[in-house]
Amino acid sequence: MARIAGVNIPTNKRVKISLRYIFGIGPAKSEEICTRLAIPESRRVNQLSDDEVLRIRELIDREYRVEGDLRRETAMNIKRLMDLGCYRGLRHRRGLPVRGQRTHTNARTRKGKAVAIAGKKKVTK
Amino acid sequence: MTRSVWKGPFVDGYLLKKADTSRASGRNEIIKIWSRRSTILPQFVGLTFGVYNGHKFLPVQVNENMVGHKFGEFSPTRTFTGHSSDKKAKRG
Repeated sequence: MARIAGVNIPTNKRVKISLRYIFGIGPAKSEEICTRLAIPESRRVNQLSDDEVLRIRELIDREYRVEGDLRRETAMNIKRLMDLGCYRGLRHRRGLPVRGQRTHTNARTRKGKAVAIAGKKKVTK
Repeated sequence: MTRSVWKGPFVDGYLLKKADTSRASGRNEIIKIWSRRSTILPQFVGLTFGVYNGHKFLPVQVNENMVGHKFGEFSPTRTFTGHSSDKKAKRG
């Protein structure tokens, strides 16, 4: 069991892979961490020595913004836009695409599941 | 794609003059502008601009959080009042 940066306990996978279970660490950053601490690519999490686990933990604490902090930061950025009253903020408020995508069709990720139009006449034969 | 730093922020030149004269006059009146494409600069903070949205001049009070945005971002050009049968009509 290895606890790094809060709740994450990915074990018996390669270090490079399991670090990516941490929110805020993707392929590039996990690679970077491994090279900086000179951890060989083939090493798995359960083969790490206590010292190495400690060093990973310290490095992440010191230099990376992960998990709660990162979530808070993104939420703050969005909140700033919404309070500012700018166009991007309005789009966030209304749950529509922010970066100029079309909304005539698609945009389902932002708009959520399609709902039937209330009061529209049904086609009857 | 972000704008090259060496070019500096884009501002229509006459805005600077307008801002200066309005500051010099001391009265805090709305400066009507059509230039929605101009970046809001630190020296505009505290002034009120009327940003044209193709219909009327919407008053925009500039605060320091707005620096770096464009004027047009604060003056929506479309009015969508919702669909007829939609219960929760949102935008005014």
